[in-house]
Amino acid sequence: MIDFFTEFPEISRSGLRDIKNAIDNAFRSFSRSYGESIENFFDPLLWFLIWFEKLLVNTPWPIIMLIIASLCYLGSRNWKLPLAAILTFTLIGYLGMWEDTMSTIALISVATLLCIIIGMPLGIWMARYDRVQKTLNPLLDVMQTIPIFVYLLPVLMLLGIGKVPGLIAICVYAMPPIIRLTNLGIRLVDKDILEAANAFGADSKQRLIEVQIPLALPNIFAGINQTIMMALAMVVIASMIGVRGLGIPVLQAIQNQYLALGLMNGLAIVALAIIFDRSLQRYGERLQKYNAGHKND
Amino acid sequence: MKKISLSIFIFYVFFFLLSFKSIASNCEFQMADMNWPSATLMANVDKFILEEGYGCRVELIPGATTATFVTMNEKGRPQVAPELWTNSVAEPLQKAVEEGRLFSASDGPITELGEGWWVTPDTLKRNPQFKTVLDILERPDLFPAKEDPSKGAFIGCPAGWGCQLSNQSLFIAFEMEKKGWMLVDPGSKAGLDASMTKAAQRGDNWLGYYWSPTSLIGKYNMKLMDFGVPFAGSENWDSCISKGPEVCINPKPSAWTKSIVKTIVTPDVKEMHKVMKYFSKRIFPGEVMNSMLVYMEDNQAQGIDGAITFLENFYDIWVNWVPKEVAQNVKEAL
Repeated sequence: MIDFFTEFPEISRSGLRDIKNAIDNAFRSFSRSYGESIENFFDPLLWFLIWFEKLLVNTPWPIIMLIIASLCYLGSRNWKLPLAAILTFTLIGYLGMWEDTMSTIALISVATLLCIIIGMPLGIWMARYDRVQKTLNPLLDVMQTIPIFVYLLPVLMLLGIGKVPGLIAICVYAMPPIIRLTNLGIRLVDKDILEAANAFGADSKQRLIEVQIPLALPNIFAGINQTIMMALAMVVIASMIGVRGLGIPVLQAIQNQYLALGLMNGLAIVALAIIFDRSLQRYGERLQKYNAGHKND
Repeated sequence: MKKISLSIFIFYVFFFLLSFKSIASNCEFQMADMNWPSATLMANVDKFILEEGYGCRVELIPGATTATFVTMNEKGRPQVAPELWTNSVAEPLQKAVEEGRLFSASDGPITELGEGWWVTPDTLKRNPQFKTVLDILERPDLFPAKEDPSKGAFIGCPAGWGCQLSNQSLFIAFEMEKKGWMLVDPGSKAGLDASMTKAAQRGDNWLGYYWSPTSLIGKYNMKLMDFGVPFAGSENWDSCISKGPEVCINPKPSAWTKSIVKTIVTPDVKEMHKVMKYFSKRIFPGEVMNSMLVYMEDNQAQGIDGAITFLENFYDIWVNWVPKEVAQNVKEAL
């Protein structure tokens, strides 16, 4: 009787083993019969990723610098950011991390874009229907907390190592913030303003595009910021499944206690994050100002 | 106030008892629980036998080869590395042994082991003309890389492992880039395993680095390829190939160096004669180790589960490692 309270009554060893084996075997046979076609399904994405990476790696570096600087300028309308970007990239190139940085930029920009394209509509959907919010919320919790290799292993068995599983890993981890904050932003829009919009005879589409989204922009951009930061934080994890980029030298450095190598590549990742984020944030701020000005007219 | 001082007093007594206990056992140390299955199994078997049989207290510390070696060498703990593959740390290890900071307690804890380049059994079935690595290197078209199908994929060693440098050097030594190959870095052991498992399960061609004894090698019946060239001397290997392309400008093609696995201990443990005697006798036959690894993989057994299964099923093997009364103690504890 005492045993019952001190030892948790658990399933027998063999019973547990049978359950584990059954799950594993089911997945194995699934992988054997559908692996090939799932792989083919993702092939276009892989080709795009490879094409984009090659484009960035093979374009002469001055052109890339120019493009990055002008993108920064277009985003921020300010000379400080492009200047900082050029300085950073000069340093990155000088320290021999150019190619890895290009690979990382290729992966991260595609991942961020994908997260925004999928995440924002999901967030809007969530904001409109409470039931969707109730179903999606636990799912988002899972995405953010589940140890990465737990879901990555089955993905690897299906798709093999490389860019696509890396992209999936990044998106699973980095998408929740943009979904959550889009949802939150729209829900926080003042009810009175919506009533006013209704009074002017706006239909739900107009209300969403003209009123809710513009007013939710600060939150949405906070979500984009988090998504970018988390995507870049996942660069090292992606490298653990064979994605080239700044993560590989970091892994090397961690294994061998190469302080300088780890620091240099780690800081390059940070620099990318900051440049990405600042240009988008400035762009977001200008968008809000434009909207505000527009309304005052 | 009284309450606080009372609780502090209890706290002190508690700590006193704790420290007393550790002094009393006089055989307490940390052991590296390295992050691959045979090492985990070995560490857990050692822990079980030493704790239950000899009354030691063993704490397992997780870690990879290089990290474990560095902390053992610099900090003196963990005090034992049961299965250290010494090739990647050959020179610093030799130095540490000469300076009396580390000692080998066993020069061959597992028999029949090795590293090298492996292919799936289906590769050989379809291409019986492949006798050595040199034959395979002529046909990169049969091993198309996912990210660039015009090249052959050679799956190297995970980033940061000692073998990564050796594979990079051999990639250069065999002029594989010129022959149309690319070196794929799987990034981690999980990546390497997934890559090999996927190929073996689907019957694809696969050429890559791996090592035995491992469950995957046993499970998929992977074939170790002969390099087709002899081992080109330890000078070439130790001071060039294993240093990687940044140090090694002109690597000579060579077969993989003979793998040496040792049980390495620090001076603290060297003084524990019973423990040292145990380590010197503790030898796992290669096939037993492979079968245990397949068992652990099939049953998703953790190190401790594997250790208990091993101790239950292979009594005739481990009984020879220990004195009779110790064997009795261990058997009773099972």
